[in-house]
Parts: sequence; structure tokens; C-alpha cells
Amino acid sequence: MAFITVENLRYRYPHADRLALDGLSFCVEKGEFIGIIGENGAGKSTLSQALIGLVPQFYKGAYGGTVLVDGLEAGKTPVSEMCRKVGLVFQNPFNQLSGARDTVYEEVAFGMQNLGVERDEMRRRVREALKLLDIWQYRDRNPFDLSGGQMQRVAIASILVMQPEVILLDEPTSQLDPAGSEEVFAAVDSLARSGITIFMIEQKIEKLAAYCDRILLLKEGRQIAFDTPRKIFSLENLEEMGVQPPAFTRICRDLGKALPDGSWPVTEDEAAGLLREMRIRPLLQERIPGQPGRKTGQGKGQAADLENPGTEPLFKIRQLGFSYTPGVPILDGLNLELDARPTAVIGQNGAGKTTLVKLLKGLLRPVSGTIFFGQEDTSQKTVAMLAGKIGYVFQNPDDQIFKYNVLDEVMFGPQNIGMSPEKAKAEARKALETVGLWDKAGENPYDLELGERKMVAIASVLAMDTDVVILDEPTIAQDFAGRSVIAGAIRELKKRGKLVLAILHDMDFVAECFERVIVMAHGAILADGDAGTVFAMDDVLQKARLQKPSVARLCRRLSGETGELRVCLTVEEFLQRNGGTDLLEKP
Amino acid sequence: MKSISLYVDNHTWLTKVHPFTKLTYIAAAIAIPLIAGKLWLFGCCILVSLCALASGKVLKRAIPLIAFSFTILLTIFLIHGLFHQGNANVLFSIGPLRFYREGVLYACRIGLNILNMLLSFAILVLSTRPSELVEELEKKGFSRRFGYIINSVFQIIPQMMGTMSTITDAQRSRGMETEGSLLTRAKAFLPLISPVVMSSLINTRERAVALEVRGFGSKSKKTYLADRPAHKGDRAITVCLLLMIAAAIVWRVGTWLLSR
Repeated sequence: MAFITVENLRYRYPHADRLALDGLSFCVEKGEFIGIIGENGAGKSTLSQALIGLVPQFYKGAYGGTVLVDGLEAGKTPVSEMCRKVGLVFQNPFNQLSGARDTVYEEVAFGMQNLGVERDEMRRRVREALKLLDIWQYRDRNPFDLSGGQMQRVAIASILVMQPEVILLDEPTSQLDPAGSEEVFAAVDSLARSGITIFMIEQKIEKLAAYCDRILLLKEGRQIAFDTPRKIFSLENLEEMGVQPPAFTRICRDLGKALPDGSWPVTEDEAAGLLREMRIRPLLQERIPGQPGRKTGQGKGQAADLENPGTEPLFKIRQLGFSYTPGVPILDGLNLELDARPTAVIGQNGAGKTTLVKLLKGLLRPVSGTIFFGQEDTSQKTVAMLAGKIGYVFQNPDDQIFKYNVLDEVMFGPQNIGMSPEKAKAEARKALETVGLWDKAGENPYDLELGERKMVAIASVLAMDTDVVILDEPTIAQDFAGRSVIAGAIRELKKRGKLVLAILHDMDFVAECFERVIVMAHGAILADGDAGTVFAMDDVLQKARLQKPSVARLCRRLSGETGELRVCLTVEEFLQRNGGTDLLEKP
Repeated sequence: MKSISLYVDNHTWLTKVHPFTKLTYIAAAIAIPLIAGKLWLFGCCILVSLCALASGKVLKRAIPLIAFSFTILLTIFLIHGLFHQGNANVLFSIGPLRFYREGVLYACRIGLNILNMLLSFAILVLSTRPSELVEELEKKGFSRRFGYIINSVFQIIPQMMGTMSTITDAQRSRGMETEGSLLTRAKAFLPLISPVVMSSLINTRERAVALEVRGFGSKSKKTYLADRPAHKGDRAITVCLLLMIAAAIVWRVGTWLLSR
């Protein structure tokens, strides 16, 4: 018998009309790495909760079918027993912390204490897990004082130490920087090799394709397919399921390059192998500006903006310094000018990105230096005074939602900055249409999914029609459709001449949507330029724990050393350059 | 995160004393003067507490506690000094106000008692990590759930204050004034408080799930990361304190029997 057997699993939440899980049946062997994909609301998280027995034991509701994990029936075995076998890592690490431990070390040991693990063993496991996830240096810190990415690692460690045989991870890397999420994937992969069964819900399709043995595709609670990544990503109607195939698959599909078994390649390796046979042109006829001897503004950020000397800067930042505690500077002597080009700020967790944008918004006051917005010194203004000019969308939408319907929530900001109710309503409507939620204008925001609530938060800032829109991690908790909506909103804002400034960990999204990229590390600007230039700086990317976009990695591989020429960054760029099947020069 | 615990981790000898020894001290400091019924014993206990606080380098932190209690002490002193039932002999007078000996004595007794309790509790609170106390109690069979509640209060209240400031920032970003006249503040109340309440409700539910997943409901015997064995000194102090309580009882019973 298989290690995990799910048979005709059906479940409906209390007070819900439709089934959240509808007739799932599958078997999983020990040590398999399973990916779960599907659009928001497909039932991915619910399934993970059913595998540990929280559904139905904690959430109640109507339940049918069986879930057997190593002979234990998840629907009936108490969760406190199931958790010895099955570990669950939540999407939001903040809620996974026990809230009863003062240090990271004790927090990680909490679960083992409950299960009665011997002391020496506890200490050994904590040490091992903290080192594995590179958070050993934070062991004496209060877990609530850590950044989102660090907290997520604590959450993963605290489940790892309980040594379950199955680990369920619900978008575990959404808060992590690219290098951090690669580390988590590698760590989880080595766990799978050691015989632990992994279920991972993830939006990072390229990563799932590279690591998973099999992928379960869900839509509206139904099991659409359960097969190898190649088979899954070769499905014709994948986009209709709310899933975008990996960049490599899209390229090969468009160029008509299939593997011998007729499926499309899904990983960088497979795609590179196939495309190498063709005469592909991974390079653009564009030189990387400043090469050789480019200026990266090491240490202190230089406002080196050579390409667009004519544009009037919106922000002028001079010698900016900031610290939360005296003597521990977060930013030090930072110089930067921002113009109307869509700009992405990238860098590792804790690099000072959020601090920088909060200073721009006036939520924090500089310790030294000045920030000029147009002709005005922002330190002379209150946040509310700047509200009409600079919009800021917070990471967590629940920090701002308080009205009982979506439209009122979105109209709150515009009315605060003095718009008439009619104008506010018109702007709110426009904003809700941009994020695709106009049909839900009358609903209670708390009845919406997290991804949709985030869209409400974005709309509530868009409706204020500010000159600058700052987005803090807009793509977290968004599926393919959500990402497209946000990309559309950014294009729309650009067209209207607004500055979009976003903090992001998703390099593919950065390459697709942003003209200017600023790399930060340890409170300083390491590089600043257009996406093509920045993603060509290998040393900077490594230093800032970043990665190239998927397509750039593929192109780099196909071309070897790029010299002075830019590589393609996005699927579209690549296909345009290589023009589809007919135009390719045959070898 | 700003801690709401008053504990000061200054590595003095006082922080190394076992929490149970401090609990015994509280019991002794409160019981001995009450049982013996002598006013000077309150003074002794207060003096001992003050010395302990001073040598533990936390006397400064105790001053706000004492200052706060003084307002209450003053009220008691006034009311009883002026209006106590058994007032007969005038002690002194200020203008038309006549303070009586009996009332002042009675107020002294209550006042010293309060001060004594406060200072002995201050030793425990200022020199013991709350989670350490709870852990030691749990080891002795105290309810795990109750222990969790006490521990989490110290984490969750500061964390809610943090959420509150993020929410204030988010609403200020949307052009809401949070400072100014009473009306402005009143208007700002709902947009600030509703997200706090809603997110607390959501978080509470999620945290309940998180605890389940981490085996909180498990029936197995809990283990601990550290032992906190009672020190030789701990034992000696505890024995002394218990002997002193016993002595106070013996003395009180003895004098009562003799008086009959």
C-alpha cells in the first residue's frame, strides 16, 4: 500500500455553498516531492490542512472520503497525534510562532517540548535546523523582531525539528529573497532525498518544475491532473486553470521544440539541451551601458543616471542616514534620484528597502540628510499632507481594511485628501476596474480571499490618484492572474506619467515590468540602472543574494560569456529576438 | 519589540535565585509581620526588601512602583488619621484638621503592609523572567494551558502594540489625520481600532491552529530545555524563611496562651 492514500476526499467549509475539495483521489510514496498548483481558491491550502487532519477536526464542516497517512486516518486521529507524522508550515510565518517564547532558540524547541523529546536531543536538533536554515546567528533574538524572511525560516525550522515523515509547506518562500528561497528549496529537496515526503504549495513554477517528482493541479476544488512536471506543464489548457507554465516551457512551446516523448521541457537544463541544437540568438544587439569599467557606485549609492539625463527627478535624496537604534545605522549617506520610470528596489531580506520607501513616504524621519520631493523638503510635512502626492500600499492588507464594503474602503483615501464624494466614487470605480474587482464592490472585504484583499488595498491607494505609488511586495499571495493584473496596473500608471516604486523578490516580474532596477544590500545601493544592465552584473547579484530572471539564466547558458552584449530577460524578448520557428536559421 | 515585562536581565545574584525561593520570600515577608502583629517587623521586612533590591541593582526600577503606591497611602493616612472610628487622642493638628493617634497608627499599619507587599513582589517581578517562573510552575504540575496564557500575554500585547503602529501608518498613508483636535482623534478611532480587532481575531484562530500543529494538545509528558536546580543558597534561604514563619506562629500562639 502507498504511504499516503487519499480517496474521494470531499470537504465543504461550514456556511459555504460550494465544495472546497471535490473528489480528490491520489497516492503518494514515501520520499516523493509533490508540488500543488492552481489558482487562488483552488483548494490548495485546504488540501494541506486535510492531510494533517485540521480539516475537518478544527474547521468542522462536511467531510467525506478518507485520507490515510502511513496507516493513520487523518480525519479521525487527533491533530496532536498526527503532528508527530505530519508537519505543516503556514503561508504567514507570523501566525506560526507560538507567541510564548522569548528567543528563536526556545521557539524552535517549543514543538519538541510538547512531544516530550529528550533534552540533549532537542538541543542537537535545534542547532542542526538553525544552521541548516542559516539563522543560527539569530538564536537569542526575539522571534517577533525578525524580518519576514527570517521569521519564515524560524517557522520552517520549528517544524523540521519535530522530524515529521511528511512535511506540508504552504508557499514557504513567498517572503524570502531569491537566494533564500533557493536555499529553502535545496534544503527541502535534501529532506525528500532522506526519505521525508514533501508537499509544497508554491507560485514559483520554475522552481517546482525543477524540484518536484510529481505535481497535483487543482481547480475549484477538483483534481485536474496529478503527474510529472513535464506532463502537467504540457497540458494544453493550463492557462485556463490559472497556471502559467515555466518560462522555459513557454519558449520551447512557441518554438515548437519538444522532447522525444512529445512533452515540452520544463527546466532550464532540459530547455538548454534542446535549444543548443538550434542556432538560437540569446543576445540582443544592445551593449550593456558602461561596460567595460562600469560604475556600480559601490558602497555609497551614486545617482548615476546616464541614460535619461533630461527627465526631471521627482525625488532628490542627499546623504540620507537613518537608524532605529542610535549607533546601528540602517541607511548611511545614501544618494539617489528618482524619476518617472517604473522602478524596482531589490535586495536580500533586511537590506533596508522598506526603510528607504518609508522614509520617502514620510512615515520615518531621516536622522541625517535630506529628501526633496519636487521642490519640497519632505521632513517639513506630515504623512497626511503628503498622502495626496505619494501613495503607499502596505504588505499586509489587513492592516488597513475597516469598512464593511469594498467600495467604501476604496473611497476612504480619496475623501481624506479632499476629493468630493462623486469624484472619489469615480476614482474608486476606475481603480477597482484596474484590479478587476468592480463586480465585488458591494461585498465585505473580509469575505474576500487574501489575494483579493491585497487588490482592494492596492485599489484604495490607486484611487487617490497620487503622483507616486509605492508597492511593498505586491506579488505575495498572488497567482498568475493576480500578477497579470498588477503588471497591467503598473503599465497603466506609467502611461499616466506616475512613478511606480516597488519592492520585489520576484526577479521575473521585475524583468517584465520595470525599466529601472535599484539593488540594495546592507543599507547601501550596489547598482542602479535598467534591468538589462543590472542583471548582467554577476558580482553585484551575488553580493545582494539575488538571481537573474529565469530567461536571462537560460540565455547566459546558451551563449556562454556574454561579453558586452545584453541577454534577453523575458520570454517575450526571447521569442521576438528568435522570431518563432520559421525564422530560425537551421544549423 | 518593546517588552512589557519589568524583568531586568542584569546578571546580578538576584536574577540567579530560584523563582520559588522568591515566592517563599514573598510569603514570609507578608506573613511574618501579620502573624506576629508587631509594627517594627513591617519595617524590618521593608528594609530587607530594599537591601535585596539595591544589591540586585533594580532599586531604581522599583521607585515608580513605590511612587504610585504613595498616592494610595496618602489617602489612607488622611481618611484614617481624621475619621477613624476609634479616634480619641489628638496627635497633632494642621489648622482646623486634627489627626488622631489611633487613626494614624492604623493607617501606618495598612500603609506599611502595602509597601511591604509591593516591595517583596517587586523582587520577584524585577529579577525573574516571566517564562522562567511559568516553566518552573509547569514542572511542578501547573496547567500547561494556563502557563501558555501567562507567557503569551507578555508576547502578544507588545505585538498588538506593534500592529497598532503599522495600522496607524497605513491609515496616515491614506491621508487620515491621527493627531490634532478631539474631533479629529475621535474620527480616527474606528479606522484604527477595527483592523486591530479584526486582525487579532484572525490571528487568534491561526495561532490556535499553529499550536495544534506543534503538538500543544499532545498527552505526552512535556520536556524542558533547561533544568533550574535549586541552589545550595536557595535551599538555605528557603529553610530560614520557613523557620521564621514557624517562629512567628509559635511566638504568637505562645503569647496568646500566656495571656490566658
